Amino acid sequence: VGDAQITTVLQPDLCVVCDPAKLDDRGCIGAPDWVLEILSAGNSPREMREKYRVYEESGVREYWVVEPDRAAILPYVLEGGRFVGRAPMLKGDQASPAIFPGLVLDLDYVFAE
Amino acid sequence: MELSSEPIYTYADYLTWKFEEYVELFRGRVVRMSPAPARRHQEVSGRLHIELGNFFRKHPCWLYAAPFDVRFPRGGEVGDAQITTVLQPDLCVVCDPAKLDDRGCIGAPDWVLEILSAGNSPREMREKYQVYEESGVREYWVVEPDRAAILPYVLEGGRFVGRAPMLKGDQASPAIFPSLVLDLDYVFAE
Repeated sequence: VGDAQITTVLQPDLCVVCDPAKLDDRGCIGAPDWVLEILSAGNSPREMREKYRVYEESGVREYWVVEPDRAAILPYVLEGGRFVGRAPMLKGDQASPAIFPGLVLDLDYVFAE
Repeated sequence: MELSSEPIYTYADYLTWKFEEYVELFRGRVVRMSPAPARRHQEVSGRLHIELGNFFRKHPCWLYAAPFDVRFPRGGEVGDAQITTVLQPDLCVVCDPAKLDDRGCIGAPDWVLEILSAGNSPREMREKYQVYEESGVREYWVVEPDRAAILPYVLEGGRFVGRAPMLKGDQASPAIFPSLVLDLDYVFAE
């Protein structure tokens, strides 16, 4: 975990960390529990492929890919060390992360024009 | 009894319609499709058709491109007047010849591919996912030309399970036809 050994540093659009031991003054070291990436035109296929792998390998428990253009959220949940995709959540749905079922998001609001 | 302000149409009604535009029927409701798909949609759809076509000429399954009616019976009711869901997948593969007749397919194709374009509403995509999952489509690909991505969903124990997105630069294979390898650099070439 030395600074000179770490070769991957990402800046997720949103992330949630439940283990305070992962937090220091500079940010987070180790996998957040939940990562949300909101797509925009600048995201290349290569970038999205690499992020998916890094989040899966590092043990992010839930990963949401948010697509504003089609008002969709693609949830992936870690099961046995691999991401498993759940049904897309779309504008009009109430969306909850698998790992925080008490949180209910109103996607009409999130994706309102 | 469920009250509805909208009439419930069936495949028997659908057969009598002479619309200029393509329509689909979802649980008795008419859903209009966009007048003509976008150029990019047709480019990606056409390239997928070529790649799949080369594979399925030597494989005992049948490949169809839209417009092609797929009827989804519920509860074993296969009569025209009982069928309330008729969709036109962009591409589909059917391996059971008993599902094919002169009008199209009745029952779930084995593999369905939908290529997204601006005209697809969240409601439409939600309903298609549900119909394909419930009816037993074994693999469903949502193809996103804008971000050069394919989102594969594979039926496991009656539910779709999403696999890792396949992106431009990848070699992509469907889980149910592992010997088919698609070159996504070609499929998504600008």
